[in-house]
Amino acid sequence: MSIAGERPVIPRRSRRQVDGWRWAGRIFLVLMLLYTAAPMAWMLLTSIKSGFAAMQMPPQWWPEEPTLASYAKLLDPQNSVGADFLRFFWNSLFVSTMTTILAVIVAVPAAYAFSRFSFPGRKFLFFAVLLRNMFPAVIFLVPLFILMRVLGLVNTHGSLILTYLTFGLPLAIWLLKGFYDNIPIQLEQAARIDGATRFQAFLLIVMPLSVPGIIATAIYSFIAAWNEYIYAYTFLSKNDQLTLPVGIQRFFSENTTDFPGLMAASFLMSVPVVVLFLVLQRYFVRALTEGAVKH
Amino acid sequence: MTTATGRAEPSRTSPRGEPGALRAMWQHRVDYAYVLPSIVVMLIVIAYPIYYTIDLSFYKTPPSLQLRDKIFVGMENYTAILSSDVFWRVTWNTVVWTFGSTVFSFMLGFGAALALHRDFFGRGVMRAILIIPWVISAVAASYIWKWIYHSDFGVIGAVLVGLGITSRPPNFIDNVDTVLPALIVVNIWREFPFAMIMMMAGLQTVPDQLLRAAKVDGANAWQRFWHVTFPHLSSVSTVTVLLLAVSNFNSFIIPWIMTGGGPSNASHIWITHIYELAFGRQRWGVASAYSVLLFLILMALGYFYVRALGGNESKDRGT
Repeated sequence: MSIAGERPVIPRRSRRQVDGWRWAGRIFLVLMLLYTAAPMAWMLLTSIKSGFAAMQMPPQWWPEEPTLASYAKLLDPQNSVGADFLRFFWNSLFVSTMTTILAVIVAVPAAYAFSRFSFPGRKFLFFAVLLRNMFPAVIFLVPLFILMRVLGLVNTHGSLILTYLTFGLPLAIWLLKGFYDNIPIQLEQAARIDGATRFQAFLLIVMPLSVPGIIATAIYSFIAAWNEYIYAYTFLSKNDQLTLPVGIQRFFSENTTDFPGLMAASFLMSVPVVVLFLVLQRYFVRALTEGAVKH
Repeated sequence: MTTATGRAEPSRTSPRGEPGALRAMWQHRVDYAYVLPSIVVMLIVIAYPIYYTIDLSFYKTPPSLQLRDKIFVGMENYTAILSSDVFWRVTWNTVVWTFGSTVFSFMLGFGAALALHRDFFGRGVMRAILIIPWVISAVAASYIWKWIYHSDFGVIGAVLVGLGITSRPPNFIDNVDTVLPALIVVNIWREFPFAMIMMMAGLQTVPDQLLRAAKVDGANAWQRFWHVTFPHLSSVSTVTVLLLAVSNFNSFIIPWIMTGGGPSNASHIWITHIYELAFGRQRWGVASAYSVLLFLILMALGYFYVRALGGNESKDRGT
């Protein structure tokens, strides 16, 4: 396994015969593309309609009078809807960023230890980490709610950050461990022969090489925290504390018929994570597969 | 692979008997420092809640979260659950939901990975588009699909009417028979990209020489897939299916936002049902007992999960 992540280049097979399988593959891809993209396209189309134009049967396939009114309303701080939406947006950004920073700080040493050291209990600890991934949020809700009350964190973003951190950690450690496994141990040994302490070897040799892994882990933590719903829904009740998923739900349970507004909000909520993903997708996809697919 | 546990400090590991264990732990005390932050956080947020849930499942609880006046009732909560009709209904829904979502997500994702394996113009763009549903929030996805399924103005209904298949737009969400399949379609929409990513990475590990050799020996496309590609992917497939199954078993957002479990429990799965018992009806004791049952099921699943992932790890060491 190379460190820099170039996978073996697959030579193109001959294109002489376009056989039935290849056609089947193409048709399948087109259908999948339709399945994937059509709902997103319909979201965008609805979001630029007026409330009246959206509620028609048969629908306007292409909006007759496209309007950005829904977006303007959501992004206008003077408007009460816009003020709420922007506050939710900012809350989500704050919680996700803090979670990401803390997750990286805690996961890096843990993943390194799991990858390199052999201490008693190492295996058990690692499986504990993996097993955590399996338990659903709902099991932890009641006790965590009570715990947060004891800690005085109910209705604060601290409760969310602490929770997301914990539940993001197992996967973060697992992803990062995959990266550390692929960094040749000889590099560190060489550094230690040259007189570096183990910590120096870690900081100066391993850390720089694991930057792609750290980026991937950070994106993963960010997206997971940004999209999290159930804890935010349970722990936060004050309107000015809500994160986007809960805020949108609360808002639109009151305005059930404003579908253009709802679609515009869904779109705006998706923009940060989709952009982040598209820009950094190489790291992201690699990180996810690194742990499970070894070669 | 260069993991080679213990090679960093071969002198420190003493593989001697029992009395050595404590000494080994002491000798490795510095190593624990690297893991300590994770362990402390997880003990607070994970171990305590598990203990608390088990404890609470033996009590009859007052509706407030001021849980001082709970009454010990032994196994009563458990017998009440197992003898209720709703339990079996919800369990069946969960089985259908988990099985349907996992199987179809895996097959569609695997198919897409195979179709995208060969390089062609626009492959990168296509891959990116196919992955987007997995990145966007499940809450947003639920609202998008709720709008698509809308009983009066939904786009699917409009298409069906336009094609002359039905005279009136069907109401998928409020129909006891169609609601669960309709939600599974949404779930697959969000989950298949994960299977696709995993299988794409897996496909890259299949040695090209083997495929070419098989071709020279006269194997057709299907035989090459079935006898060369597929056996190579068995461990990735196992891990992918298990991860999908676990996350589907644990899903909450899509049913909760789209239907809230209705109509008449037709789309309640375990997690949404537990949530409603606890936070909707404030029956904390019963909800805890449910959670403990859930634990037990997940433990059984977890056995396979750890074996699949652990097997992968030990194989990794061997090379």
